[in-house]
Amino acid sequence: MAGSASMSVAVGARAAPPATRDAPAVRWTLTAIALAFLALFLVLPLVVVFAEAFREGIGAYLASFDDPDALAAISLTLLTAAVAVPLNVAFGICAAWAITKFKFPGRPLLVTLIDLPFAVSPVVAGLIFVLVFGLQGWLGPWLVARDIRVIFAVPGIVLATLFITFPFVARELIPLMEEQGTEEEQAAMTLGARGWTIFRRVTLPNIRWALLYGVILCNARAMGEFGAVSVVSGHIRGRTNTLPLHVEILYNEYSFVAAFATASLLAVLAIATLVLKSLVEYRIQRQVARASAGAAGREALP
Amino acid sequence: MSIQIRNVTKTFGSFRALDDVSADIPTGELVALLGPSGSGKTTLLRLIAGLEDLDPGRGSIRYYEEDITGTPVRKRRVGFVFQHYALFRHMTVFENVAFGLRVLPRGARPTKAAIRDRVLELLRLVQLDGLAGRYPAQLSGGQRQRVALARALAVEPRVLLLDEPFGALDAKVRTELRQWIRKLHDELHITSVFVTHDQDEAMEIADQVVVMNGGRVEQIGSPAEVYHSPRTEFVMNFLGQVNTFTGRAVGRDIEFADLRVAASDGRLRDGEVRVFVRPHEFELRGRANGQPCAAATVLRIHAAGSVARLDLQLADGKLITAEVPQDRFAALAASTGDLVYVAPRRVHVF
Repeated sequence: MAGSASMSVAVGARAAPPATRDAPAVRWTLTAIALAFLALFLVLPLVVVFAEAFREGIGAYLASFDDPDALAAISLTLLTAAVAVPLNVAFGICAAWAITKFKFPGRPLLVTLIDLPFAVSPVVAGLIFVLVFGLQGWLGPWLVARDIRVIFAVPGIVLATLFITFPFVARELIPLMEEQGTEEEQAAMTLGARGWTIFRRVTLPNIRWALLYGVILCNARAMGEFGAVSVVSGHIRGRTNTLPLHVEILYNEYSFVAAFATASLLAVLAIATLVLKSLVEYRIQRQVARASAGAAGREALP
Repeated sequence: MSIQIRNVTKTFGSFRALDDVSADIPTGELVALLGPSGSGKTTLLRLIAGLEDLDPGRGSIRYYEEDITGTPVRKRRVGFVFQHYALFRHMTVFENVAFGLRVLPRGARPTKAAIRDRVLELLRLVQLDGLAGRYPAQLSGGQRQRVALARALAVEPRVLLLDEPFGALDAKVRTELRQWIRKLHDELHITSVFVTHDQDEAMEIADQVVVMNGGRVEQIGSPAEVYHSPRTEFVMNFLGQVNTFTGRAVGRDIEFADLRVAASDGRLRDGEVRVFVRPHEFELRGRANGQPCAAATVLRIHAAGSVARLDLQLADGKLITAEVPQDRFAALAASTGDLVYVAPRRVHVF
């Protein structure tokens, strides 16, 4: 991520010559095709969501949220994200710290395992939890005996979300921390700092933007996850429906305005995520630009 | 002795980085660990700092008589200057230098004002006053190096350890900075060890040089000692240019290239030996004067510089290099293709 940022900085710094000498007609055609594609597949759906949501006026739009099931879905989604994101921040930092600052047996395996949630289909991820915690699952009888409900209940939803969003923070941090190496930590050590002080005053400030970036992506996915959550939720209205599941139910029941109104919340979340993401990317880019400007200045200065 | 290194061995997996190394670092001196890459010099420095652990039970390191083999880095009070400086990139120069003071336990931590005074004093010492508010990325390489030095000195270390302190700088800044470091050392008299692969650097500023090769110490001595009286072939080859011959030892004499001269160490030997002569240890004459000498043809002359360097070819085809002072070269009046007579003043055999 930092690498791509620095690359775009380098391109921006020079006035890039045109890549080809094609006739203007060709260039315009290609640009038009790209824009049309974008409009059709990205902008249009977004517009449709809002158009359908407001089709019967703002009153009907607001009325869709005046429903205990909708409010329950919103609060469950917020609760899920509120649990999953902090936990994955903690796990992500631990994993990235362990992987990049230490050499230990099984390190490559850990790196691979972190990517597992990306590699596996969300539905399969959900099924794994059903197989482990479900009535017929490994831990099912034990849980039933203690009257603990995981599957078709909130804990299952949180677990599935945790699993799906696990890689986001770690994946953002590992390349950056790998690149930064361990010398600054070692320097802090020679200056008398203890482990926690080193983390708080040296490591954390160095990764804060990448961390925020990971948190934003993690949050977006935690709130928007459908497949895995759908498998473990059981779709109990007002109890185990998150926003995406609620949208599906409303849609299947032909409550289009309510479905699109609820979907518009997710769309707003997506737009807010994109804006935040761009802001953070801009900050990271500036950081990199400052660092490389410094590196370039090194030769010029005495 | 401020640092005593005794029989230290360090392995990384199956690679033996240090093999039974012993050395003393005298108090208040500037000592160079000199060797090619892979010689173990950086490993030794990191062991002294505590950034690596000794192989258990294999040797010991003492600071001022105190065994610190198992002491963690942060308790050793060492100043370590990293090759690439390792400045805290998100902190200003001021904060970088203040770090070691700010992380002291509350009881030992100076007041804010005291920290400020100390940092500004250090920045003056390293000639960076006025740059306290800059970030590392906004500094030149030489400036970063000096920030790293100030940061290391802030904790009043018992020893200052520098890993290739001039390695990442361009040639001009490098020569300036090494003279400056020598001057600084003469002011502060802090026991210092630096790692380098550049023999000129070690020769120029060190009081003592520890020459290392293949994880072992080859020789320890003053720069003049290791240069003029090398104890091993490696030291001979590593410190400056040398001509190598194959010869025969007969008692205290060495026979090579139609010459018979006494070996520099005066030891008795017998059989085939390798013979080393430094370029400046050849005497050149215009004609043979009865003393042992060998005829050689002048192939090339490099007269620019403080000495004149001549590439010569002996009668048996062997190529050698000789260096003579400019006035001697003028008196010799030799040009390319001429025949001259070479006589070694000193020959080294190991």
